[in-house]
Amino acid sequence: MELNGDGLIDVLSGSYSRQDEDMAGLFQVLYGKKGGGFGKPEVLSGSDGQPLILQKQKDGDDDGVTDAICTRPCAVDLDGDGKLDIVSGNFRGTFGFFRGEGGGKFSPKVEWLQGDGGKLAVDSHGDPFFVDHDGDGDLDLWSGSAQGGVFLFENVGSKTAPKWGGRKTIVEPKGHTPIAADDHVPEFGDAHLKGPQSDTRVWLADVDGDKKLDLLVGDTARLMHVAKGLDEKTAREKFVSWRKKQKEFFAANQPEGEEAMKKWQEGYEALEKEREQFAKEESTGFVWLFRGK
Amino acid sequence: MLTNLLAPLCLLAPQGPQFAEPVRVRAGEDFVKVEAPGFAAPAIHDVDGDGVLDLVVGQFNKGKIAVHKGIGSGTGKGAYAARTWLQADGANAEIPGVW
Repeated sequence: MELNGDGLIDVLSGSYSRQDEDMAGLFQVLYGKKGGGFGKPEVLSGSDGQPLILQKQKDGDDDGVTDAICTRPCAVDLDGDGKLDIVSGNFRGTFGFFRGEGGGKFSPKVEWLQGDGGKLAVDSHGDPFFVDHDGDGDLDLWSGSAQGGVFLFENVGSKTAPKWGGRKTIVEPKGHTPIAADDHVPEFGDAHLKGPQSDTRVWLADVDGDKKLDLLVGDTARLMHVAKGLDEKTAREKFVSWRKKQKEFFAANQPEGEEAMKKWQEGYEALEKEREQFAKEESTGFVWLFRGK
Repeated sequence: MLTNLLAPLCLLAPQGPQFAEPVRVRAGEDFVKVEAPGFAAPAIHDVDGDGVLDLVVGQFNKGKIAVHKGIGSGTGKGAYAARTWLQADGANAEIPGVW
């Protein structure tokens, strides 16, 4: 998007957290350069000159850190005043709104998008994207989440006074793909994947040029591969046998105290090394296209 | 078997937006894929200004950003070239605050 009004396209990113101060996921901008290309990431500041952050919402024992980390921003003129605003997801799953003041300036005060039931939210890792998908002239909110899936909050207000309807599930969340820690033998490879897994990130656009809005979804997928030199049948047999051994290990070892925990950890790591002889784990992510009908 | 056939892989809202079953996006022969541990974050934009939409994919690993140049036109739109990394001042762009 074009963030600072210089006519050049910029890249806006969130982040997990800064490391040298209170945890907060800063916003980083790669400003477009004349003649093409981008500059190095720069921290986006609010109009007070301080780094723009989602302020923690402390509540009793909850220190509010999940409000501030894992930011995922979307720059959009949400209130139709002609100025670009920023809406950001976070670890908690809520959506923080920084009002645009024009020329790439943003109010440092975060407001939280609200529905009839309180703050709009997905389970965690909110991922806002705005598009007028139904052509009624206002922007609707789409989001992925840590558990996966795609969710829609319809704008039931207007272009200049958005009001949010309840959460609709567009793609059912798949959850985190269980692999080694659960009581099953995994599918090997990735051919069994039929849709997005966990940690979904969404984008909507007419990708294929057919004038219909398509949905792109990025994910995290945990895979298991047959180790080099083995066939799948052998790897599966070895996995079943190893799984039995793993269950026995868990049943026989209930570590109490530092020394016992250390021993348990060593035993666990040895088991994992043994598994790697016949099955290699991979954590990756794909991009899925849902073509608009 | 019948259950499997009837069980939708994705639930679409009955009167909401309608989409076809998902397909994994490819770049040439290979699937578009990010480095471990994952967290693919796609975006569509004409990054190089050639009039064709490109696929941009963020990832957690070092905060790097992949660019898959759009190479299709007409009915071939949505076809992408192999990954290059988005550059910032001549080096791979890396977003601080992720690892």
